[in-house]
Amino acid sequence: MKTKTELIKFNQGLDLESGARLNTFDLMVETYGELNKDKDNAILVCHAFSGNHHAAGKSSDSEALGWWDEVIGSGKAIDTDKFFVVCSNNLGGCSGSSGPLSLNPETNELYGKDFPLVSVTDWVNSQKLLSDYLGISKWHMVAGGSLGGMQALQWAISYPNKLKKAGIFATATKSSTQNIAMNEVGREAIRKDKNFMDGDYLNHNVKPKSGLKTARMLGHITYSSEDIMDQKFGRKFQDIKSKIEGTVDYEVENYLQYKGEKFSDTFDANSYILMTKAMDGYDASFSSNGSLEEVMKRIKAKLLVVGFDSDWLYPPKRSKEIQLAAMNVDVECSLVVLKGEQGHDSFLFASDRYVSIIKGFLDSK
Amino acid sequence: MNTSLTNIIKKWVPEKSKVIDFGCGDGSLLKDLIDEKNIRGYGVEIDHNKIQECILKGISVIEKDIDEGIQDFESCNFDVAVMASSIQCLKEPHLALRKMLKLSKQCIVTLPNLGFWKCRLDLAQGRMPVTPNLPSSWYETKNLHLCTIKDFETLCFEEGFIINERFFLNDKGAKSAMASAFPNTFASEGIYLIAKK
Repeated sequence: MKTKTELIKFNQGLDLESGARLNTFDLMVETYGELNKDKDNAILVCHAFSGNHHAAGKSSDSEALGWWDEVIGSGKAIDTDKFFVVCSNNLGGCSGSSGPLSLNPETNELYGKDFPLVSVTDWVNSQKLLSDYLGISKWHMVAGGSLGGMQALQWAISYPNKLKKAGIFATATKSSTQNIAMNEVGREAIRKDKNFMDGDYLNHNVKPKSGLKTARMLGHITYSSEDIMDQKFGRKFQDIKSKIEGTVDYEVENYLQYKGEKFSDTFDANSYILMTKAMDGYDASFSSNGSLEEVMKRIKAKLLVVGFDSDWLYPPKRSKEIQLAAMNVDVECSLVVLKGEQGHDSFLFASDRYVSIIKGFLDSK
Repeated sequence: MNTSLTNIIKKWVPEKSKVIDFGCGDGSLLKDLIDEKNIRGYGVEIDHNKIQECILKGISVIEKDIDEGIQDFESCNFDVAVMASSIQCLKEPHLALRKMLKLSKQCIVTLPNLGFWKCRLDLAQGRMPVTPNLPSSWYETKNLHLCTIKDFETLCFEEGFIINERFFLNDKGAKSAMASAFPNTFASEGIYLIAKK
């Protein structure tokens, strides 16, 4: 699989939904496969909250496999022998695109907490500039799960003529009250970390690791489900040799400790707050006073909506809402509810039916 | 679905109408209607393999058990709802018909006729009928509510549905004079276009 990672500069800038403006911005972009002559085999994948541009494969032994490696690659559901796959790190992220860890070109200082609020629509607008840069006038598909699925839906709404198909997985047209509540607990853990310093930790050479860790531990509970945790860990005790913390008794505790620790090493706290705020703030129907039908009737792309039955963060009923609104306004839209083995995270894994459905959707007229 | 059945349904579906097909199978009927009549079509199906075929054909399909959610689509204003060879498999066929006529102006319903002479013959011999369109044994069949042509038309009358069109096929799946003249005995299958008064 031919993989390319590139930092692309956009000097035209971007007006954000909040009213703020980025006069210039960078996007860290990874691509897989090759763009054909007609430039009609391109697929844009949008990452979820903690993902980044590294969606598939690995470029060195030390690098981890991309977040959607089970789905993207040679012969996989999104086949890189056929398609040119593009994934960019969202603005406000912390993996190379402009965000709290970048230099503000106006002040020559790190943005830190002053990076402006970004939204799902802003990301879509920045990705539209990316498609212009790449010379892609119409995506064969834009797809993503969770927060990435919101971007795929928003693409279909914002740029109806710029994509043929949208794959909208494990997501909703807006975050639920419970989604916002969960995110707020995570943000509160970060804000109350003494190293957070009101978001100014970069200037003090510290990092609110403990807050980030707690936030991530809660996150992992919400991405899983009661049954899955039972199956995976049960009430098994952690063996003494591999305990991460002395206080750990059960395997599940060790797992959360490990995941939280790892995340707090790599993720930026201001990005965490920005990303979750973007997720909470998304409402596809916002511009039409709550009428989803009103915005969805612009859609020309064919939609594939997939929900997973073990997902309680964005459960199948939220997928059904998207399908019903599409049907109300004559948008072509299929809805499939899969048996997810991994709760909300199921969209990341290549179960047999998921793979054949994505393949079938990509191959269909 | 046999070709005469498909042809009759095609005749009854207006150009450019919005159609929902409950139990759409592999999506063939919808595909034909989209290609030939330029309809906007949606299918409802529960079988995984058939859903996969619909997606491959580019047909919009919704994974759902018909017994559990016809009413979910009430806001969608369909012109035609199709229920081909499935009504007898539902838990409450009369309620399903009412719900279908709430979400759609007209309904096309096809059903096997238990009054067909071969069924009567089987019953007279003391056995449950097994015919080309009732192929399964009593212990395997998905049919919960079999009825005769007479039974179905009586239900329509009692429910206040108007039968706008009706058509009968013999057990070869073809039109026949006997089936048209004496459907309750000689039709193996009935096809109806019904609406609310």
